[in-house]
Amino acid sequence: MRAWEWLKRNALIIFACLAVAYMLIPIMVIAVFSFGDTPSGKLTFGLNDGFTLDYWRDAFSIDALNESLLTSLKLAALATLASTAIGTAMALALVRYQFRGRKAANLLIILPMASPEIVIGAALLSMFIVYSLPLGFTTLLIAHIMFSISFVVVVVRSRLIGFDRSLEEAARDLGAGPWTTFRKITLPLIMPGVAAAGLLAFALSIDDFVISNFNSGSTVTFPLYVYGVALRGIPVQVNVLATMLFMVTVVAIVAVLWQQRRAERMASVAPEPG
Amino acid sequence: MSSSRKGGLIPAGLLGPGVIWLVLFFVVPMYFMGEMALRSGSLASGGFAFTWEWSNFSDALDGRGSQIIRTIYYSGAATLIALLIAYPLSYAIAFKISPRWRLIFLFAVIAPFFTTYLIRTIGWKTILSDSSPVVDFLKTIGVLPEDGRLLATPAAVIAGLTYNFLPFMILPIYASLEQLDGRLIEASKDLYASARTTFRKVTLPLTAPGIVAGVLLTFIPAFGDYVNAQLLGGTGQAMIGNKIQSLYLVERDYPEAAALSFMMMAAILITVLIYIRLAGTEAFMGAEDED
Amino acid sequence: MTRRALVAVALALGLSACGGIVGAGNAGNVETADNGQVEGELVISNWPGYVDPGKDNSLAQFTDRTGVEIEYIEDINSNTAFFGKVQPLLDQGESGDRSIMVVTDWMAKQMYDLGYLQEVEHKDLPTVFENIRPGIVSSELDPDRKFSIPWQSGMTGIWVDTEEAPDITSINDLFDPKYKGRVTMLDEMRDTVPLVMKADGVDPADATTEDWMAAVEKIQGAVDDGQIRRFTGNDYTEDITSGNSVASIGWSGDGYLISNDNAEWRMPDEGCMLWTDNMVIPVGAPNTPAALEYMNYVYEPEVQAPITAYINYVTPVDGVKEIFLKEGDKGLASDPLIFPDEEFTKDCTAQVNPPVESAEDITGAFEDVVSG
Repeated sequence: MRAWEWLKRNALIIFACLAVAYMLIPIMVIAVFSFGDTPSGKLTFGLNDGFTLDYWRDAFSIDALNESLLTSLKLAALATLASTAIGTAMALALVRYQFRGRKAANLLIILPMASPEIVIGAALLSMFIVYSLPLGFTTLLIAHIMFSISFVVVVVRSRLIGFDRSLEEAARDLGAGPWTTFRKITLPLIMPGVAAAGLLAFALSIDDFVISNFNSGSTVTFPLYVYGVALRGIPVQVNVLATMLFMVTVVAIVAVLWQQRRAERMASVAPEPG
Repeated sequence: MSSSRKGGLIPAGLLGPGVIWLVLFFVVPMYFMGEMALRSGSLASGGFAFTWEWSNFSDALDGRGSQIIRTIYYSGAATLIALLIAYPLSYAIAFKISPRWRLIFLFAVIAPFFTTYLIRTIGWKTILSDSSPVVDFLKTIGVLPEDGRLLATPAAVIAGLTYNFLPFMILPIYASLEQLDGRLIEASKDLYASARTTFRKVTLPLTAPGIVAGVLLTFIPAFGDYVNAQLLGGTGQAMIGNKIQSLYLVERDYPEAAALSFMMMAAILITVLIYIRLAGTEAFMGAEDED
Repeated sequence: MTRRALVAVALALGLSACGGIVGAGNAGNVETADNGQVEGELVISNWPGYVDPGKDNSLAQFTDRTGVEIEYIEDINSNTAFFGKVQPLLDQGESGDRSIMVVTDWMAKQMYDLGYLQEVEHKDLPTVFENIRPGIVSSELDPDRKFSIPWQSGMTGIWVDTEEAPDITSINDLFDPKYKGRVTMLDEMRDTVPLVMKADGVDPADATTEDWMAAVEKIQGAVDDGQIRRFTGNDYTEDITSGNSVASIGWSGDGYLISNDNAEWRMPDEGCMLWTDNMVIPVGAPNTPAALEYMNYVYEPEVQAPITAYINYVTPVDGVKEIFLKEGDKGLASDPLIFPDEEFTKDCTAQVNPPVESAEDITGAFEDVVSG
């Protein structure tokens, strides 16, 4: 049967599509519920609420929610900048240089990735308690930078390993110093890897709940806000903003991809010099 | 392999900030957690004094055996299912999907990250609730008994864990598949190996580091998770993470909580160290063994 | 980064921390809240959904009247979680900028005993003590109302889906195997365990350690049988709405969170638990004059009426019922969940703490049931 043959040949792709659909199911559910018409303005998971755009119109009407989202975005942005810079530097050192203590450094980087969040969060809390440090935005930032560094290192490192050094060598042959070489040759070329690492760090920070729960004091991040109101009725605006956040990310990534493809197309179309 | 060189101060300068940060905010807190585990007292009765209270460790484990086994079971099952989903998916993305679509698929894999862990899990809670179409459907086709349910069962918790940690399984496996030298596969085919043999003898062994990385990165966080059990589970599905969270944030019995966390961390550390001994630290990060 | 350096650092840190007592509290040094010029900013921490909403609500009108800007933070979702969050601050004499926090009476007492609260003087709160309902002018845990001023009261009983489980009228019915796996209980120990005790004829006010432990064991037994689906915070409302649960121990004012027309709150045969959430002033509170002024403000019946109308809990202020009647709102005025009379609550017990000497063990045992 031809249909069966087609199925067998494309089984993997079909599986991949199903798997991806599976990954996106909750997002669909979240989006659908953002249109639910509930009298109390809270999600009731009733599955038979009417349809309304009210909550999209009033998406930013809950101050506490907006503040928490802003806090999360601020936190994520700062944590991403810091951890990407620190992590990229570490990756460069690990790939390009020999030194003693490499194994120790590797272990130090692996451990946070491999530790359950609850242990990291609780340990940080223990330290902050002993030193009577006030919990808040700063402690959150410290924690977020910490757990992102390892991931940045791994991502940038894998980029660096396959990196063609000849361009750098050419630059050096032409008399460029190491910093200039880095700035004008290396950095632009590893930028995709750094960007990917940054994106991952950003996602990890926005998403973080457990570590933040332990170390936030009275600062409320978006996930913490959701946790708080989940007990007492999630305002529909939460779903609206979550869907918006998702859509903004989609748009951003699509824009980046589109830009990339344009660049490739122009590069292939442009006439050869000479 | 790119040439590396001794750089004297430069590697120290590059590594410095990161190492300092990780030591200060990861290693040192672990020390303090261990120290807290040896304290005794309570918040309500004058604070915690350091008294070499070794009994905290035995107290923490007292009667918790079945909960620990349950946790291993849930996180193990979730890891296994994640592997079974992630490998074919990564393989498809790496080899069967045209480059144009590849990024889109990869994005779809990490997209859930941008909607917050909690909201995703609450989304699943809705989908699996007793009155949802999903449950109705399963009852109609007989998979679920008439008085059965999906939420507040081990299945729901395992499903939640699998879903939430799937990206951690996919990314390392995909990375190792992507770095696979296509020529090796071609060579294998040229030598008349069937697709299955090629997979078994070439692809699988070469991507083993990615698989192990994925397994570790999935199992360990799942092991310490408590959100899935709290939202999707019921009585009898609590994981050891729930207990730690309760000890810290509800009972505020910091010494016992720290003791339990410390032992969890120690168990994980031993596992990771065993792996590193066998495979080398570089292998964990996805590259060839450089030691 | 040598190994030796690391060890040295660790030792130094360790020496500085070892031996010191952590989390000691500072009981014995109780301040009294100052009165004075009412101005500036007021930061209030409260539970979500506990004040009337809108741009022109009671908070906004307070600002209009006094010029005091209010920062209203809804960051309290559970007494214990909130305590865990603010305890390190309070221990240092700081309140994190808060001037008012709203916590349940037993938590208020606990905080007071640790020296984390300021006392209030009745002379600074004329409106409060003029209008406070006679029933709660004094409470077991704060007989002279020295540190806690009631915000709202409520009752813990059983929310029942009358179509699925019409015959549930007592806490013991929750143990009926007919409803196995379809009932939930609160993870708030001071609600669930006393209710179970009451159903077995024990008065929580005189309960001994054995009584508490016996009740906890009874619950554990039900958990082991799979009778109890889960322990919830306020999210039992979701379970009732979505049909996950047919009967949940829950709070009287949560009707608007439950989107199930068949659900109703039932007073258990053996009576409910009465609790009161109170405004307290923490140590280190900036702007206590404004805090005192706010307390007086919300005890004016006209101010309290819209709050009560929205949140549907039991108001501590006398005279609100009359306002509803005057406005022709018979529904609210005759709702026994908002204005319960003596008869309605005759068997109800005010929330109590477990016996002091075994409180930790009982809490630990209950938590093992909930999270074990």
